[in-house]
Amino acid sequence: MGSIQNSHASAHTPALAEKDAQAQAESAAGLSPAGVFWSVFREDRFFLVLSVFIGIFSGLAVVCFRFAIDWSRIYLLGTGAELSPWRLILAPTLAGLAIAVLTIHVFPAARGSGVNQTKAALYIYDGYIPFKTAIGKFIASSVAIGAGHSLGPEDPSLQIGATLASAIGRRMKLSRDRMRLLAPVGAAAGLAAAFNAPISAVLFVIEEVIGRWTAGILGSVVLSAVSSVVVMRSFLGSESLFRIPPVELRRPSELIAYCILGIIGGFASVAFSSGIGALRPRCRNLPQWTLYLQPAVAGMLIGLIAVLGAPQVMGAGYEYMDEAMHGQFTWQFLAILAVLKILATLLSFVSGTPGGMFAPTLFIGAMLGAAVGGAEHALLPHFHYTAGTYALVGMGVLFAGFLRAPMTSVFMVLEVSGNYTIIVPVIVANTFAYVISRALQPVPIFDLLSRQDGLDLPSMEELREEDVLRVEDAMQPSPGPVLECDDSLDRGFLELEKASCPFLMVRLPANGWACLDQKQADAWMKEGRGGYALGTLLTDAHIPYVYPDQPLDTVLRYVDRWPVVPVVNRANLRKLDGVISQRDVLARYRDFGGE
Amino acid sequence: MATRSYRLDSSRLLRREPVALAVLTLAAILAFLFVTGLSRMFHAQQDALAQRWSARGLTDLKAGRYTDAIPEFRAALLYTRDDFDFRLGLAQALIGLHRNAEAFTYLINLWGRRPENGVVNLELARIAAEQGQTEQALRSYHNAIYANWPAGQEGRATETRFELVEYLLKLQARTQAESELISLAASASDDTAQQTRLGSLFQRIPDYERALAAFRRALSVHPQDVAALTGAGTAAYDLGRYAIAERYLQEAVSRNPGDYISNDRLRIARLVLQLDPLRPRIPAAERDRNVMTAFAAAGDRLKACPVAATYAAAGTSKQDLAAQWAKLKPQITPSGLRRDPDLVTTAMDLVFTVERQASEWCGTPTTTDSALLLIAKLHEGN
Repeated sequence: MGSIQNSHASAHTPALAEKDAQAQAESAAGLSPAGVFWSVFREDRFFLVLSVFIGIFSGLAVVCFRFAIDWSRIYLLGTGAELSPWRLILAPTLAGLAIAVLTIHVFPAARGSGVNQTKAALYIYDGYIPFKTAIGKFIASSVAIGAGHSLGPEDPSLQIGATLASAIGRRMKLSRDRMRLLAPVGAAAGLAAAFNAPISAVLFVIEEVIGRWTAGILGSVVLSAVSSVVVMRSFLGSESLFRIPPVELRRPSELIAYCILGIIGGFASVAFSSGIGALRPRCRNLPQWTLYLQPAVAGMLIGLIAVLGAPQVMGAGYEYMDEAMHGQFTWQFLAILAVLKILATLLSFVSGTPGGMFAPTLFIGAMLGAAVGGAEHALLPHFHYTAGTYALVGMGVLFAGFLRAPMTSVFMVLEVSGNYTIIVPVIVANTFAYVISRALQPVPIFDLLSRQDGLDLPSMEELREEDVLRVEDAMQPSPGPVLECDDSLDRGFLELEKASCPFLMVRLPANGWACLDQKQADAWMKEGRGGYALGTLLTDAHIPYVYPDQPLDTVLRYVDRWPVVPVVNRANLRKLDGVISQRDVLARYRDFGGE
Repeated sequence: MATRSYRLDSSRLLRREPVALAVLTLAAILAFLFVTGLSRMFHAQQDALAQRWSARGLTDLKAGRYTDAIPEFRAALLYTRDDFDFRLGLAQALIGLHRNAEAFTYLINLWGRRPENGVVNLELARIAAEQGQTEQALRSYHNAIYANWPAGQEGRATETRFELVEYLLKLQARTQAESELISLAASASDDTAQQTRLGSLFQRIPDYERALAAFRRALSVHPQDVAALTGAGTAAYDLGRYAIAERYLQEAVSRNPGDYISNDRLRIARLVLQLDPLRPRIPAAERDRNVMTAFAAAGDRLKACPVAATYAAAGTSKQDLAAQWAKLKPQITPSGLRRDPDLVTTAMDLVFTVERQASEWCGTPTTTDSALLLIAKLHEGN
C-alpha cells in the first residue's frame, strides 16, 4: 500500500494489518512487540555490517587471485612479451591436464564460470556454497588463465566472493533468509573487485543473479561491492582495467555506424552463444576418459593459435584490449582477433576449464567494435573514427548481446570510460545487439548453461519481462451506488434491494471504506436501527483499499478476511473505481494461465 | 563430547554480535597483514621484472636495435602498465622502425598525461613533420622548446630549437628559421660546438654577419677549433671580407690540409686580395700590373667561352665582348694605364662583364676568374 493515509487511517489498513499478523506470530513465539522490533532492527544492522566484512574478505581474496594469475603466467608462460613457441603450446596443454585432474577428482564444483553456481546457491541451496569450491576455483582458474586459456577472472571472483560470504554466514549462524541473500552480496563484492567497477557489479548481480530490485538487499550489495573495491584498490591501485582514450561523438549521423556495430555485434553474440550451446553438451557426452584430455586439447589448440600469430587470444587479454582501444592494430587484424577469440573461448569453456566469460566477452566486443569502426571509416572516410570509442561501444554490445545484461552493459561502459558522451551510441548499439540476440537465441547463455547442467534456475530475463497482473485487470464495477456515512440504514437497505446485490460500498470519514452487506443490514433492521447513520454502525468495519495499478497479488492478502475490497483512485481516495473479490482474483488468474 | 560442547559454546559465542564483530575484525586484520605481505612480494617481483625488461629495452633503444627494444618495453609494461618512461621508450622504438601511427597513439596518450613533457612533444613534432603536418609539427616543436625537460637534459630545449631551425630550412621558411636562430643565439652558451652549429645555420639562412659572429664566439673559447675556423673563414669570405677570410682559412687549412674546399677558398681569397686593382691605397705600379693580369685573364676566358665572346651588352656600341676586348687591348699597357687613369675603370668594367657573362654561359671559372668575379661583386655599385 505504502499510503500515508493508510498508516494513519486505522488498524485495518493492509500495512498495519500485516504488522499485526507478524506481531501476533512473534507474540506467540514468546517475544514482546518491542523485542520483535529490536530483533529485526539489530539483525538488519548486523547484516549491513556483515556485508562490509564480506566485501573486505572478497576484496582480499580477489587481490590474491590476481596475484595467483600473474604468478601462474610468469612461471608457466615466462616473463617476456614475446614467448617461445614451445611454451605457448606446452603451458596451456599441461595446465589443462592438471586442471582436468583437479576438477574431476578434487574440486568438481569448480567447473564453469561461477555465475550459475551462485544463482543455484540463492535459489536451491539456501545460500550454501561449499568452501572447497572457492579453493578449487581459485587454484584451477588462476592456473588456467595464467597458462593462457581464453577465460577471464571476473566470474570466478564472483563465485569466490559468494563462497566466502556463504562461509561467513554459516559461521555467524544466520537465518535461512539471510543466508540466501549472502551469496549475491558476496558475488557483487567479488565481481566489483575483479572488475574494479562497483556500479556494474551491483547492477549485474541484481540483473543476473537476484533478478529483482529488492530494497532489502540493495544496501548490502552496494556496501559489499564498495568495500571490496576499496580493498582491491589499496593493493592494486585505482587504475581501470584499460586506459581509456578520449571518447567522442561528433555528429548524430555517426549513430548509423554504431547501429551497424550493434547489428554485427548481435550476430556475433548469437554465434558465440550458439557455439557454446551446441558444443558444450557434445563435449560432455564424449566418453568419460576424454574429460581428462579436453582442457589439454583446448589449451594446445589455443597455444597453436598463439604460435600462428595471435598470442593476443591467450588469457584475459586486457592489455590487448587496451592496445586495440589505442589504435594499435589494423581493423583487419582486429576482426581476425575477434573471430579467433570466439574460437579460443569456445574451446576453453566447452572443455570444462574453470574460468570466466566476462573478459573474453569484453575482448571480443572491443576487437569487433574497433574492427567495425575501422572498416566503416575505410569505406566512408567522412565518418569520424576513434578506435577507443568503437571498442568501448563494442564491449557493451557483446555484453548486451551475449551475456544479455542490457542495463549492466550500458553502465559498465559508462563506468569504465567515465564519459557520458558515449551513452547514446552505447544505448543504440546495445539495443540492436540485444534485440537480435533475443530474436535468434531465445534462451540467454546463463539459462542455457544451467539447463544443460540439469538445474532449472529462474531465468532473469523472463523474470524481468514477466507480465504482471494488476488489480485493474480483475476489478469489477461497483454493483450499486456508493453510500455515504451520513446515509441512514433505511436508505442503505432500500438501495440494497434496488440494486439486488449482496453488498454496497459505504464511504467513511477520512478516506475510509466499509461494506454494507445484505445479511448485516437485515440483522440491524430487525434490531430497529433503521434510522441510524451508516457511519455510526460501521465505525469499526474499515476495509483496506487497493489501487488499480497495484499487482493483483496484493489483493490476496485481504480477500480472505473481507469478501470485497474497494479499488480507489490514487488522486481521490474517496472515489471508488471498482471492487474486487477473491472470486474475481482467482478467475483472472485462471484466465491468465490460459493466455 | 568435549569437542562437541566446545563447538556449541563457540557457536553460541559467535551469535553474540559484539564477539562476532570482534572476531571478524581480527580475522580481517590478519588477512590484511597476510595480503600486504603477499602484495609486497608481488609488487617487488613486478618492479624487478619491469626494471629488467626496461633496462634491456633502453640498451637496445640506444643501440638502435628497435626490433628488440619493442617487445622488451612491452614486457616491462606488462608489469608496470602505466609507466610513463616505458611507454615513451616503446614509442621511440616504434618511431625507430617508422611505425609512426602506433607510436603516435602512445605519444598522444603520454601527452594527455604530461602535456609539458619535452621528449613527448619533440617526438610528436617529429612524427607530424614526417607526415607533412607542418602546423602540428611547429606547434609540437614549440611545445617541446618551452617544455619541462628532466634534470640534466635542459640542453635538449636548445637542441630541439636547432632541430626546428633545420625543419624550417627544409621548408624554405627562412624568415621563421632566422628568427628562431636569433632567439637561439641570444640564449645559447659559449659552447664551441653549439656556436659552430649556430654559425653554420646562419650561413644557410644566409645571414653571414651573424654566422661570423657565432664562429668568432666559438673561437673565443677554442681558438684552434677547425670547424669554427673554417666556418668563420667561409662566413668572412661570403661577406667579402677576404683579409679576415684569408686569416681564418689559412689557420683552418693548416690544421686540416685535406679540406679542399677551404683550400680553394683560401686561394681565391688570396687572389682577390692580390688581384684587386681598385682596392684603396694600392701602389700605382701594382694597380697597373693587376689591371693587365685581369685583362689578360678576361681575354683567356673569352677564348675559352666563345658564347660569352659574342655577347653585346646593352648600351654599348653593339660590339660584342670579344671585339670590345680586342679594341681595348692595345691600350692596356703600363704606359697606357699611366697616361689615362680612367682606363683602369674602363678595363676593369670590361673584365667584370666578361667574367660575369662567361660564368653565366660557361660555368665554373678557374681560380683567377673566380677571384675576378668576387672582385667584381666587391665593387658592384661603385
